[in-house]
Amino acid sequence: MDVVEKANLDRQKRWIKDSKAGEGTYAVVYRGHEAATGKRVAIKKIKVGQFKDGLDMSAIREVKYLRELKHQNVIELLDVFSSKMNLNLVLEFLDSDLEMIIKDRSLVFLPADIKSWMAMTFRGLEFCHRNHILHRDLKPNNLLIASDGQLKIADFGLARDFADPGFKMTNQVITRWYRPPELLFGSRYYSSAVDIWSVGCIFAELMLRTPYLPGESDMDQLKVTFRALGTPTEEEWPGYMKLPDYVTVGQFPKPSLRDLFTAASADALNLLNKCLTYEPRRRISAREALYHSYFFGLPYPTHPSKLPKCAKQVAASRPLEDLNGNVEKDATGPGVHAKNNRLKRKLSSPVDEPKGRSIARRLDFTK
Amino acid sequence: MEERTLKVATSSYACLILAILYVFDPDMATSTSDDGNESVATVKKPLYESSTQFRNWRCSPEKLAHIRHSLNEAAVSAIRNTFEAAEPGSSANVSFLDADEELLLVKLYVSKIPQLCALFRFPEEVEATAITYLKRFYLRNTVMDWHPKSVMLTALFLATKTTNNPISIEAYASHIPKTAPSDVLDLEFLVAQSLGFEFAVWHAHRALWGIWLDLQNFPGDPIRLPMSAYDAALGHIRTSRLTDTEFIYAPSQIALAALSLVAPDAATKWADTKVSADTDTSAVSLSSMVESIKSLILSSGKIPDVESVREVDRRLRICKNPEKVPGTKAYLAKRAEEERLAEEKRAKKVEEVQKAMGADPFGEEIKNDAPRPGLVDYDDDDD
Amino acid sequence: MTQSLNKHCRSKHAQSSMAPRSTVSGWLQGKTIRKAGATANTRSSTPNQVQSTSATIFAGGVKDASGRTSEYFSMDDQCPVCKSDRYLNPKLRLLVSSCYHKMCESCIDRLFTLGPAPCPICSKVLRKLAFSPQTFEDLGVEKEVAIRRRIAKEFNKRREDFLDLLSYNDYLEEVEDITFNLINEIDVAQTEARIVAHRAENAALIEMNLQREEAYAHALKEHEETEKREREFRALELRREEEEEREEREKGKREIIDKLETSDKDANKLVAKTRANALKRSAARFASASHLQSSAQLLRSRAAQSTVIPDIPHVPLQDDYYAYEDKFRTKESGYEDVFSEAVRQDREGIMRGGGYMVEEAWGRALMCAVAALEVPPLVGLEPILSSEQTTAVHAPA
Repeated sequence: MDVVEKANLDRQKRWIKDSKAGEGTYAVVYRGHEAATGKRVAIKKIKVGQFKDGLDMSAIREVKYLRELKHQNVIELLDVFSSKMNLNLVLEFLDSDLEMIIKDRSLVFLPADIKSWMAMTFRGLEFCHRNHILHRDLKPNNLLIASDGQLKIADFGLARDFADPGFKMTNQVITRWYRPPELLFGSRYYSSAVDIWSVGCIFAELMLRTPYLPGESDMDQLKVTFRALGTPTEEEWPGYMKLPDYVTVGQFPKPSLRDLFTAASADALNLLNKCLTYEPRRRISAREALYHSYFFGLPYPTHPSKLPKCAKQVAASRPLEDLNGNVEKDATGPGVHAKNNRLKRKLSSPVDEPKGRSIARRLDFTK
Repeated sequence: MEERTLKVATSSYACLILAILYVFDPDMATSTSDDGNESVATVKKPLYESSTQFRNWRCSPEKLAHIRHSLNEAAVSAIRNTFEAAEPGSSANVSFLDADEELLLVKLYVSKIPQLCALFRFPEEVEATAITYLKRFYLRNTVMDWHPKSVMLTALFLATKTTNNPISIEAYASHIPKTAPSDVLDLEFLVAQSLGFEFAVWHAHRALWGIWLDLQNFPGDPIRLPMSAYDAALGHIRTSRLTDTEFIYAPSQIALAALSLVAPDAATKWADTKVSADTDTSAVSLSSMVESIKSLILSSGKIPDVESVREVDRRLRICKNPEKVPGTKAYLAKRAEEERLAEEKRAKKVEEVQKAMGADPFGEEIKNDAPRPGLVDYDDDDD
Repeated sequence: MTQSLNKHCRSKHAQSSMAPRSTVSGWLQGKTIRKAGATANTRSSTPNQVQSTSATIFAGGVKDASGRTSEYFSMDDQCPVCKSDRYLNPKLRLLVSSCYHKMCESCIDRLFTLGPAPCPICSKVLRKLAFSPQTFEDLGVEKEVAIRRRIAKEFNKRREDFLDLLSYNDYLEEVEDITFNLINEIDVAQTEARIVAHRAENAALIEMNLQREEAYAHALKEHEETEKREREFRALELRREEEEEREEREKGKREIIDKLETSDKDANKLVAKTRANALKRSAARFASASHLQSSAQLLRSRAAQSTVIPDIPHVPLQDDYYAYEDKFRTKESGYEDVFSEAVRQDREGIMRGGGYMVEEAWGRALMCAVAALEVPPLVGLEPILSSEQTTAVHAPA
């Protein structure tokens, strides 16, 4: 034990915690830096002994996969050290995520920007799939952006290895708005295609600047999906009516995507279509997507360093969701953002932000 | 070709520009720029060789013996001191275990894991992973500190979680006689820590399956072997788990060896198609490796016999580390020591906070220009 | 008070840029969302929305930051007067009186339609309009919120209105004192008198503060409107530019084809030249187009950047990992394999419908079978174990 302890102590000395960045149910996240170089890091401290079944599964998954994956488009685990009852993950520090950038209305996206982000996402995802890992929680919130513009897939709290034949997996994965129909219909046997569907939704969201398929409940999610993409036929998706939780959702005609995505090129729509194919087996794979003509055509993908970035202010006051692996399975899209941020950022007003307002401010529901 | 020249041109151009940029915007310049193709080396990194299993849990037989020996020695002297500290002269009659005996005990409990897995109907993956965890644990710890029976139960429980076959602790503990949930959970963090939190394991049984599939795709005629051959090979792999092969060789090699024990011709034919053309003839050849593995499996793959183990177990009861046994003098002393250290740390923190707050318990009027002292975090007991 | 609420309601409604997806119809131009509380048991046919059965529309309710109110309800609701609950009456809706007692709409209708009547619980005389929907689970909170809102209207002095911090704190303490009294019904008459006194003394200041707040809200709204307009304009511009760009590209392609047909120069050179022209044209267009200042600036800076750090053509895979692709091939026609029997026999098509691809599992096994097949074992005591090794978590690049 002392061998292990001593090694830990040495590792621990390498990293210095600066300030608390946030707290979740099972982890506390600190901003920190490397003692020797000053390089900024995020230190996620996971408390042990919180859950009745011992070490939390999400924590285990995160450590297991991040330990093995090292790729430009996957968040890097720099070090792991532990003390008495804490597990500390040292991750690279990332300012912002794609969700913040999409929501920031002051940023304009060029088609080349979208292409660049999509390429990076696919690369990261393809690497995961090459290592036979399903991510199962892709959403803009979990695609972090580094200061040099590189996109990194983060939050492996729901990831798992490809299943061996005949083994069931849970279908309660992926945030609802990005969940493919086979999971909504309760399928327990699925494949890497579920991640591709999520990427397709993210692609659409980048073009629309608003979530593409926002359902308010699992049932509603199906309706929204079918309304947007048309109800699938048996030929289109063989066997889907036999899925465990199948219910009729209504007959909706297949609309033309061109009507909604007015600014998209033909290639982009083609790729989007392939990502949002109903039959999972026919959905494009991450590797095939990287070879799709969309990426090879003009304009070239924007160089990562030139991609739009969020205002520094907003980046500084990041909500916790971006840094911790706290997954709420039923969370619908946007995390909690303090509404006041908007006011503070936009209004460089003649009327100064009232400093010592009357006490009623705290319970002010009249606004 | 065109692409690459463009890239090279770009990268050198980019370097120049980066240099210029550095003056204006250091951030942009110091970023690792475009797409990682700056690196000169085009040597590819094989996936298995990048895994933690290959990098951190791979040793030579000599090294393994060395590790076990030094662990054992260090443990013996530490425990001896503990005995002496509690009661001088008490350690004289104690017969401590040596490295081989430790290994014997571990082997026994390794052999018990398949039985448990059969009881719970855990898949092969869980069984193999649990065995690996148990073996790795004792490359970092000694049985005199932690009894392999408890570690085995915990390793198995942990393996169910890391391989995505979770079971609730109640369901687990209730099926194991004389075991409470806390017995299993108490050691969980320790086991995970000893493993370096490296949970992903590549297994030989999967490699065997792969070879089996690939035989059907053999150029020319697919090689078809009876299922009984597969089962026999799998049996050899299970035997190999009692040995050190997984630390010395790769899973693919072990699988090939297992197959070779059952169907040597097929194995050789298959291996020949996989060996690369430009192998260095002086280097260790695949066939010699296979032979070594085969002999290892056949020689060391035996479950220890009950008699010899009983003897070791009896002696263990006497020589185990009192510090780890709740209730003994040494244990209580150790706890007291830990408490004291923790108390010291806490007191230091309180001091820091008080200094930060100043004399007035309600704090002075908040001045924006006053520098805020460093964050004091009560949660943070790492420092 | 209702009037000012309405005004706030309306103004907020106009401001929301994204239409809320609530399907419930609004009343008094606020949008009501029915919020479900903790449920003990639910029937499958239970409505997840509260419906109104009364002909009267009830105003009030507390609005959250986006201008919508949400109404609280739970499956355990029961009218204390008639004892009906949601199980028996799915359309049950409980409203709160001004004396903070709950009762269902039908009871209210029954008791108060003909005019003011005493509250069945505390006998205080109430009118029908004195009822409003419940926003918070705890009536105590509801009451407190209402009181605080009322006080906030009257006591709205800021730190700047005081000479020093001490007097400001004293003021705050007094206000809190008053609030506390009102909530807990201590010395109500006396407290009310204090409020009146304060109002009389500070009428002018209160008025001024009120106006200042309104002006602020107004300025904010205007600011947002102009921003919205700007944004829309910019988006329009962008779309127009993209159209143009697309046309340019088409034209460029046609040009290339034409040139290739007619001239006999080297094809590659031609293509390169045309591409360069196209790029120049689009760059020029970027520089010259867009009337809106900010958008023009942005695009100009982007174009400038392109000459400094160029966008390079897409490279599909940029890592240098080796996945042993040359060592194995997955058999197209599939394998005969005991382990995937279940998949093959999938009669119902469930695994297929869900998208399980056994090829992925096979691929993993095959990769495992060839990984590091020829890597020799370590010998001697040379390489060291992780605990003593470098602290690198990942393989060095």
